[in-house]
Amino acid sequence: MTEAHTELHAVPPPAVAIPIIDPHLDPKIAVKNLNFHYQTGFHALKDINLSIADRCVTAFIGPSGCGKSTLLRVLNRIYDLYPGQRATGTVLVDGENILAPGYDVTRLRAKVGMVFQKPTPFPLTIWDNIAFGINLYEKLSKPDLDNRIEWALRKAAIWEEVKDKLKRNGTSLSGGQQQRLCIARAIAVKPEVILMDEPCSALDPISTARVEELILELADDYGIVLVTHNMQQAVRTADFTTFMYLGEVIEFGETEQIFSNPREQRTQDYVTGRFG
Amino acid sequence: METQAATTPASVSQEIVRRRLRANRVVTGLSVFATAAGLFLLAWILGYLLFKGFTTLSLGMFIHDTAAPGSNGGLRNAIIGSLMITGVGIVLATPIGILAGTFLIEYGRGSKLAELIRFVNDMLVSAPSIIVGLFVYVIVVKPMHHFSGWAGAIALGIIALPIIVRTTQDMLQLVPDALREAAYALGAPKWRVIVVVSYRAAFQGMMTGVLLAVARISGETAPLLFTALSNSSFTADMSSPMASLPVIIYNYASSPYPDWKHLAWAGALLITFSVLILNVVARSFAPRSRN
Repeated sequence: MTEAHTELHAVPPPAVAIPIIDPHLDPKIAVKNLNFHYQTGFHALKDINLSIADRCVTAFIGPSGCGKSTLLRVLNRIYDLYPGQRATGTVLVDGENILAPGYDVTRLRAKVGMVFQKPTPFPLTIWDNIAFGINLYEKLSKPDLDNRIEWALRKAAIWEEVKDKLKRNGTSLSGGQQQRLCIARAIAVKPEVILMDEPCSALDPISTARVEELILELADDYGIVLVTHNMQQAVRTADFTTFMYLGEVIEFGETEQIFSNPREQRTQDYVTGRFG
Repeated sequence: METQAATTPASVSQEIVRRRLRANRVVTGLSVFATAAGLFLLAWILGYLLFKGFTTLSLGMFIHDTAAPGSNGGLRNAIIGSLMITGVGIVLATPIGILAGTFLIEYGRGSKLAELIRFVNDMLVSAPSIIVGLFVYVIVVKPMHHFSGWAGAIALGIIALPIIVRTTQDMLQLVPDALREAAYALGAPKWRVIVVVSYRAAFQGMMTGVLLAVARISGETAPLLFTALSNSSFTADMSSPMASLPVIIYNYASSPYPDWKHLAWAGALLITFSVLILNVVARSFAPRSRN
């Protein structure tokens, strides 16, 4: 629509629209001087500085092994599960350093949800899949719980497909439905940020389109961080894009700018498909 | 065969195609032969057992206790004894085995201690059962000064334990880490992840392991000879010597009396088919199909 509009004007508006939210001014998550080492000593993230805005989609792109998933896994400290993995620096979520010793990861994970590459429904009924997370934080009465589950499933655009089979096993759904179930499960605990680690890479094009639509809708209410291998997906969904290479953030900016007018040569090479 | 050759790219010569087909036929033939040989032996054993045992099966066998030759005895005390000893043995071994397997995968993964326990456990799986019998004789029977059902149950429990540890460990290992991560990512504490996610995902496999352990110990004879011994009369008191099917089969089969020998066949039939049924039940725990 904006393109058609532009053609009517003699003087086109600036190629880069002024962002509604500047992530640097009011970041939901602010990463400062973050370094990450694996057990093997591999230095996977090098001095990362980055701001992530609330109610926007921020995409991490870059070739395999560039550290984008590692960075995502720092943001909810899921890397904690594996002894020997070590993050140093500062990651502020709502101004609180989540890497500080003694920080309560349970509280963090209630606030920062995650959706994985492969759909990971628990071997429970669809209903129980959603209830699992809610029951960790709230003691709801059965009708309230039912309402919350319906709300989450609706929000994840899967309610119509599963409303008659809530007692069926979550694993009986198709891959695309499973992924939306996982998104519903993440939403159900009312997080503020949702981390998505290549959420569409195991899905067919139709399911992918549905999940992308969903990502755009969810960005009205949540901050979304999306790791993707698919540059077109970043263009379609993300407000901001971060290009990473060999453990460093090469360039961060509005998606349109990164793809149409990158400042860095390496970004240019990657987004035009010259490597990676 | 002809059509297969016809669709092969021209670059693959007819000679190579023929050689591959020949090799395929030879390997298929050998596999079929090996399968048939195995199945033939199994069918032979089961058939012979049915033939010998079925004619001697009678209701009286379940009602009467073992008795002197020629006095129309049964197997009731041995059946009940076997059920009790096996049952108590498995009740002792299951919680310990499942918790130990849980430790190995969920808590100790990669640690030196877990590696050591895993190694020792794998050795125990293949430990000769008579050694276990002697061990329990020394630590339970001798201090108590008499044979007992408890001692028998402990011996069978010790045999079942490493099997349960091993299957629990294998089944929990099969639970994808992604599933655990998904639960942790919701903020779930570790115990909840284990109970709700890991156990639920591995449940069928773990149950199968327990049933297979029951099947394994219900036929054990040697460890019972040193522990529960046997008893010619009925008892439900685990602190006294107890009869059991394998030991009665062992005693009766080596006796010269025809009616005892018949009872031994009937007992063998009973135990074999119980194990068979257990295995079928264990199979039915296998993952259900979609929907």
